[in-house]
Amino acid sequence: MTDSGDDARRLALRKMLARSVAAGSDAAVLACAFFGLWQQTAGQLEPVIGARGVDVLFSRALHLTSRRFPWLPSAADGNNVAPLEVLQTCLAGRSAAEARDAGEMLLLTFTGLLAGMVGQSLTARMLGASWTVCDIHASSKEPVAAQSTST
Amino acid sequence: MNQTVTIRRLATGVPGLDAILGGGLPELSFNLITGPPGSGKTTLAHQIMFALATPEHPALFLTVLGEPPLKMLRYQQQFSFFDNSRIGAAVRFVNLSDEMASGDFEQMLARITREIQIASPALVFVDSFRAVTRDAARSGAHSLDLQHFVQQLGVQLSAWQATTFLIGEYHSQTEDHPVFTVADGLLALRQSVHRNSMVRQIQVLKMRGQATSPGVHTFRITGAGIEIFPSAIVRDDSGATAHTSASPARDGHRMGMGVPLLDDMLGGGLPSGFSLLVAGPSGSGKTLLATAFLAEGVRSGEPGVMVAFEQTPSQSLNSAIDDMVRAGAIGLINTRSLDLSIDEIVHHLIGMIRRMKAKRVVIDSLSGFELAVAPTFREDFRESLFRMVAALSSLGVTVLVTSELEDRYTDLRFSPYGSAFLTDAIVVQRYIEIDSGLTRVMAVVKVRDSAHSSEIRQFAITGGHIVIGDPVRGYEGLLGGSPQHAPYGPRGADDRAAGPMP
Repeated sequence: MTDSGDDARRLALRKMLARSVAAGSDAAVLACAFFGLWQQTAGQLEPVIGARGVDVLFSRALHLTSRRFPWLPSAADGNNVAPLEVLQTCLAGRSAAEARDAGEMLLLTFTGLLAGMVGQSLTARMLGASWTVCDIHASSKEPVAAQSTST
Repeated sequence: MNQTVTIRRLATGVPGLDAILGGGLPELSFNLITGPPGSGKTTLAHQIMFALATPEHPALFLTVLGEPPLKMLRYQQQFSFFDNSRIGAAVRFVNLSDEMASGDFEQMLARITREIQIASPALVFVDSFRAVTRDAARSGAHSLDLQHFVQQLGVQLSAWQATTFLIGEYHSQTEDHPVFTVADGLLALRQSVHRNSMVRQIQVLKMRGQATSPGVHTFRITGAGIEIFPSAIVRDDSGATAHTSASPARDGHRMGMGVPLLDDMLGGGLPSGFSLLVAGPSGSGKTLLATAFLAEGVRSGEPGVMVAFEQTPSQSLNSAIDDMVRAGAIGLINTRSLDLSIDEIVHHLIGMIRRMKAKRVVIDSLSGFELAVAPTFREDFRESLFRMVAALSSLGVTVLVTSELEDRYTDLRFSPYGSAFLTDAIVVQRYIEIDSGLTRVMAVVKVRDSAHSSEIRQFAITGGHIVIGDPVRGYEGLLGGSPQHAPYGPRGADDRAAGPMP
């Protein structure tokens, strides 16, 4: 995973958030915005990797993010993803700074996991135009990891 | 006016596949790709898809419950044919696992139909068919039963004016399924594991409307994807089977062997287009003879190709070969792999012969060749050799094959494979004991339809060259390894020449 891909997605996410919420918005507004961004991102990916594929990545992202933000709802186990509503309520109950940091980290961890699986270039393509506002396309595909080429 | 439909054949982009399909994949055909897990089905489908899909003729890849799409995208991306930039406009992936999980096949068929209507694809792939049928069977009663579902899917895929593929872990040879009847094409992939080697194989079990290449063909998966090595029956460009008998193309020309006196022993050199077996024990000078043959070709403007199996990594090829290869005068295929198929070697060899416009080919040696061939093919080694010699013969090249032959003084054999009959000429080298020393001797045993010497001549290896000496005279029982002085003295020189051997 290259840092440039992560940085570009961070920038794109902040731009998307800035379009959705005014500066100085409270946690409830931010939680609502993250909820919308999450739905948009999941909607973009589900046709390709399926709802279950999205859920599994989300569970893992939530688990990793909760190490830094232990107050986030737990994913219980791999099969039962915490409902987005619960997450939204949880974010809304924190300070604006906490809600922003946790929401941002969760989405970036999620997209980072996706990039780790299928590479930055394909991730950019799968996430769609809103995430590529900063041109996070790599011009050519990059190796996702050292792998055998047999199936 | 011709009223018949002309079926366009699509170039699949998989090296070797168009040849075994009989000229490409029929447009708008409905095909099954079957095989066990790991046999390369998805790779084959993706390779075809990326070769054919364009924004004007897009592809729709529907993933069902087989490989998770994330994993599929992760691994398929490692192949050079996987082009990220074409995903979206030319290639679209759609996951149907949610419909599958619902267990309602009517709904799933409706979703497939909807996706196809939206995308209007020229190519449709459903991966995997096995997952579809297995889940249908498990879930029991449905408004649409399994057989009906598969038939509906097959019929609909056929009617959508798209070239379509169902991919699945279906054992096409042992199981019976109505979809096999509906399908126009059936490509069966499998892996054959024998001891420590694994060989991938593909067979076109069915392809409506065209003559496919029968039999089982081997293939490899590399970073570039799948490469198929059509079975070693050489076909010309028209698709007609070319000349598979072992009789060489004769033009009366004789080729110099590069060893003084050997040409005389052969009756004036080796006839062009012939195959020559050089049999002898280890260290007798077979490779040197082969090297001289290639070097003479280089001198005469007849490029050569050498297929070497004998060298270990610690040994370098002899310097003469090395120099000729470096100078680009001959081509070299040096392999130490132990899971080759003869078809794969022949494929590489024919490619190099064509590139180099080669006239001479050396295979050094049959013993190494047999070791390099995957155990799966060893049972058919003799038959495969025949096909290889036939394939090379049809190209008109002159072939020299060496064969390791353990010295046995109780019987006279020329090859451990009973393959001596395959070749047009035979030169045998042996060690004999004279005056408590080992002496090398050489004789021409056979030159088809040609007079040749019947002398057994001594030879020495001097400065990396074979130097043929005098005939061994005054002895008898040479081939027994321990000659005795002949009681009646040397034979005369007047009875040396033998007639042509049949």
